[in-house]
Amino acid sequence: MTADEYLNEVLASQALGDDSEEVKALQKHRADVEKLIRDSFKDTALTIRYAGSKAKGTMNKESYDLDIISYVSSGDNTSGDTLEDIYNNHKNALAKKYYVEPKGSVLRLKGCGPENLGVDFHIDVVPGRFTDETKTDAYLYQSGGDKKRLKTNLDVHLDYVRDSGVIEAIRLAKLWKVRNGVPIRTFVLELAIIKLLEDKKNKSLSAQMEHFWTELRDDSADLTVEDPANPNGNDLSKCLGDNLKSQLVTAAKCTLEQIDSSGWEAVFGKTEKQEKAARVEILRRAAAVATPSRPWLPEA
Amino acid sequence: MLYGKEKSEVEAHFPELHFVVENDLVFVRGIFPVMFEAQKLDRYSVELQLARNHPAGLPVVRETGGRIPRHIDRHIVAADGTACVLLPDERWRLWPVGSPLLKYLTGPLHSFFLAQTAVEEGQPWPFGQWAHGAKGIFQFYRELLKTSDLRVMTTYLDYLAAKKVKGHWPCPCRNGRKLRDCHFDHVKDLREKISRKTAERSLAILRRAGESAIEMNEPNPPGHP
Repeated sequence: MTADEYLNEVLASQALGDDSEEVKALQKHRADVEKLIRDSFKDTALTIRYAGSKAKGTMNKESYDLDIISYVSSGDNTSGDTLEDIYNNHKNALAKKYYVEPKGSVLRLKGCGPENLGVDFHIDVVPGRFTDETKTDAYLYQSGGDKKRLKTNLDVHLDYVRDSGVIEAIRLAKLWKVRNGVPIRTFVLELAIIKLLEDKKNKSLSAQMEHFWTELRDDSADLTVEDPANPNGNDLSKCLGDNLKSQLVTAAKCTLEQIDSSGWEAVFGKTEKQEKAARVEILRRAAAVATPSRPWLPEA
Repeated sequence: MLYGKEKSEVEAHFPELHFVVENDLVFVRGIFPVMFEAQKLDRYSVELQLARNHPAGLPVVRETGGRIPRHIDRHIVAADGTACVLLPDERWRLWPVGSPLLKYLTGPLHSFFLAQTAVEEGQPWPFGQWAHGAKGIFQFYRELLKTSDLRVMTTYLDYLAAKKVKGHWPCPCRNGRKLRDCHFDHVKDLREKISRKTAERSLAILRRAGESAIEMNEPNPPGHP
């Protein structure tokens, strides 16, 4: 199996189709979340949509979140006068059914019943307000940090990633981040890989990944990213600090060494298909030395 | 005495299985591992109810974790969840009467759960499976006696179920000779392996099913004794 065939198998084993149990569970929660919000803000014109990896097509089974935006129309104060009010009122609405953990601009949902207390549902709700009638740019409240307001544009973000031409590399980079415990924000990682692979889109997936890690290893110090939705307004430099860059260098160096010494499997492990084949083989070997015994049922 | 010996043997080999006595019945409950080369391939929650006449009788086995579907195709009785580990007529090959319980656990029971794991992985039954009911009994005796003739089988079973067999009886192979001049040793050998009770039961099942229920259109297997 070539490196690219292997990497594509890794991606296939990480795929989350709409009919997967994980996505079905998320979709059920999404319906509940939307109902909770709409019931709480009956007089508010809300735009509730999928965002994040679900909308970008970059979801991985191993680590996935569902981002749901809930934006109020510009000038609509029925769900709160300020961004902070909108944020807190969403939090209160969701708290009727979930334990809600505020995290920056998002509200992370967890279980609060006796059967699922503290269970992370991998769902982030992002309250906000559109800046004008075009319903493109939006302001989000930031519960932490100096700046309390963040300007963003969901469609610009989605298009930027979806049209990047390096979706597969992004998914692999996300998997690499999780497996190596690199504490980089997913959005920042996406921006970094899109930037670093800007002129490598026609390369093979394995070549793209090796280039990405080589760049991180050798040139992390100069790496900067900017928010395509607000290049001048949102400063992402704090999301790519020296400490993080140092961790990226170490992880990238280690990964390249693993590929060199032990091949790609050392980075992403055996695929589901390989694991299944290995399991079937060991069961076959176990059966070869076991007492050959055939089951029988008394009545058909 | 036997209970204590069996208990210590089994618990030493399977530390997660425990003996419990309830209402004069002995149960062995806990986690049953599927092993290969000291590696735990799988584990099942099980309950074995030892027969009142243990070790003469077969234990009743249940998978208690709810993992194996209660379906005839998985050899689990839907009504009560009992696992059909083996065909009693074949017991002499797998767990001869008088063998310790440990041999049952490491032999046919281990193979049963190993097979369940393989099937769960989408593989065929690694050791094959007997058809359900009368057809499975027919298949077993077809292999054992190397004949597809139900009349031969039922005569053999008649002789295995009889208190005594006499040499002047006609040989079950139906070649016209007397038993003493034909398959007497074979019948004697089988009578030592297959209990009268088991033979009686299988005979009754085969007779009840009748020829029509058992497809006997397959040719005789080679090497009929």
